[in-house]
Amino acid sequence: MALEDVARPSAGARAMVMTVAAVPLLFVIGGLAIRYAAFASVSEETGFAAYARALCRWDCAWYIGISEQGYERFPIPNHSNVGRWSFFPLYPMLVAAIRFVFPYPTILIATVTSIACSYAACLVAWPLLENNMRAYVMYCAFLLSGPFSFHFTTFLSEPLFVLLTSCVFLALKRSSYLAAGVSSALLSATRLVGVFVVFATVIQMFSEHRRQGGSALSFPRWLLGRPDLLVAVLISPAGLFAYILLLYLTVGDGFAFLHVQRAFGRVAGNPLVFLWDGLSAVPTTGWLPTAPQWSALSAIAGLALSAGLAARRQYGAALFCALCIILPLITNLASMVRYVIGLAPLTMLLVVLLSASRLIWLAALVLFLGACYLMTVAWIGGYLALV
Amino acid sequence: MPWSDIPAPYRRAASLGGYALAAVLAGSEIVILALALNPNVNADYRAYYIDQTTTCLNRDATGSYTLGQTVSFRSDGAKRAASIKVCGWSGSAGDGTHSLGETSRLRVKIPPLRDSLMATLQMAAVIRPPQITQRVVISVNGVRVHAETLSGKEPRTVSFVVPPAALGKADTLEIAFDYLDGIPPTPAASDIYKRSIKLVSLRLDAI
Repeated sequence: MALEDVARPSAGARAMVMTVAAVPLLFVIGGLAIRYAAFASVSEETGFAAYARALCRWDCAWYIGISEQGYERFPIPNHSNVGRWSFFPLYPMLVAAIRFVFPYPTILIATVTSIACSYAACLVAWPLLENNMRAYVMYCAFLLSGPFSFHFTTFLSEPLFVLLTSCVFLALKRSSYLAAGVSSALLSATRLVGVFVVFATVIQMFSEHRRQGGSALSFPRWLLGRPDLLVAVLISPAGLFAYILLLYLTVGDGFAFLHVQRAFGRVAGNPLVFLWDGLSAVPTTGWLPTAPQWSALSAIAGLALSAGLAARRQYGAALFCALCIILPLITNLASMVRYVIGLAPLTMLLVVLLSASRLIWLAALVLFLGACYLMTVAWIGGYLALV
Repeated sequence: MPWSDIPAPYRRAASLGGYALAAVLAGSEIVILALALNPNVNADYRAYYIDQTTTCLNRDATGSYTLGQTVSFRSDGAKRAASIKVCGWSGSAGDGTHSLGETSRLRVKIPPLRDSLMATLQMAAVIRPPQITQRVVISVNGVRVHAETLSGKEPRTVSFVVPPAALGKADTLEIAFDYLDGIPPTPAASDIYKRSIKLVSLRLDAI
């Protein structure tokens, strides 16, 4: 009897683990099939290699360049004024390391690595979604078979960024500050905005301090008395600082990743003006929003969801997401859709909201899978809002 | 493992180790920040990327040129023109090469000269009403030699003398075009995208 009692929950737990592992796997396969069908509908080529190349659009080419050749010194070869410096090194380095072991074309390695990262991001999301199976299924569908799944399955920074963001928030949820710090360090080497996650860590520490009965004023003293927390905070931006050092040694300018933005035509301006300009770019024919309108709408939706996180007392995640939207918005609306959908806390909140009703959940799931095909065709065709 | 779970005998050592690591991290980050705030770059890099005092990133480009030759900046002369375009130009198109930004430069290698040069350029203004003219200041080897106000979309032939003072003993001729009325493609666009002229051809003759 006692043995049966032990065995039953263990069997149940095993089944749950199998389900949690199988759901994203199902969407990996489903997503590949849908995106391949979309690719086959617009391409005369066939095969996985051609598919991977076709999905490698926009910034993907920069990441391949970094992975294969590293960063340029100055002057940049071919009389170009646009260096690769604005693209952070961790993901291309990871792909280069894997390619060293498996000598296949970079885009093939990167595509498989991106799928693996997105799959792992789904697994990490399970505890973050409070073991909500409906939300989990929808989250896996969104990342791996959803309308923007090409962003998470080709050579862009998004797959690793989503994975590491989830790792940071899972570590914070478990009050494992050192693990959060190390994940944050990796995140800050993946994309510049990754460094903002340190604020979420500090907010979580502050909440813990308050829960223990500490006052707001005594927080700095409490923090200074905990070397493990100090290390967690100070190690968080280590990836960014390592990249600054690399650029200083390569180019002579540690802030080259910021300075090169000029060559891309990005200039600092008023985010509200950029939003208004985007919303005002009404279509000349038809009713579908223009690319600038999609970008502006996604920024607004992202900020609204950030407010939603704050309303749910997830202040750290809210601040992180809002900063990750506002910083690029200071320059313009370019890539805004990609930046917003790459913010894991926002996507998780969205799927939780959509999963509240079974009917809406089902409808959204069908919509995700259907839109995957159409959006992949648009991505391959170079639709500007998806850049 | 939470900090409090470390056995007491090791806690002090772990605490000291933690502070040491925190100090190393903080120190390293301060040093790296100091390095980044003092970039070790040349003047061209600094002017374009950091100070943003120019839209034209100077590059090591010097084209060969024979006096009396006409260089076309239309598609038919793209290869030849590319060798003398230093910065501030788009690619050659059917109607000429568009300027980009607030300054453009050309650089050619020339034989030693005793006297002046006659430069003949074909240029057209980029206009967008209400702006219907483009003022261009042309300098050779840093010496201002000519100013022109272009109007109308049709190319105009512009000739001017390059005095010996501008030539000196230099074996290269750098022609800089400064635009006073560049038009940004959109109100929020970067100044590196301003449009001012279309250059159609260049010819240099010894006088």
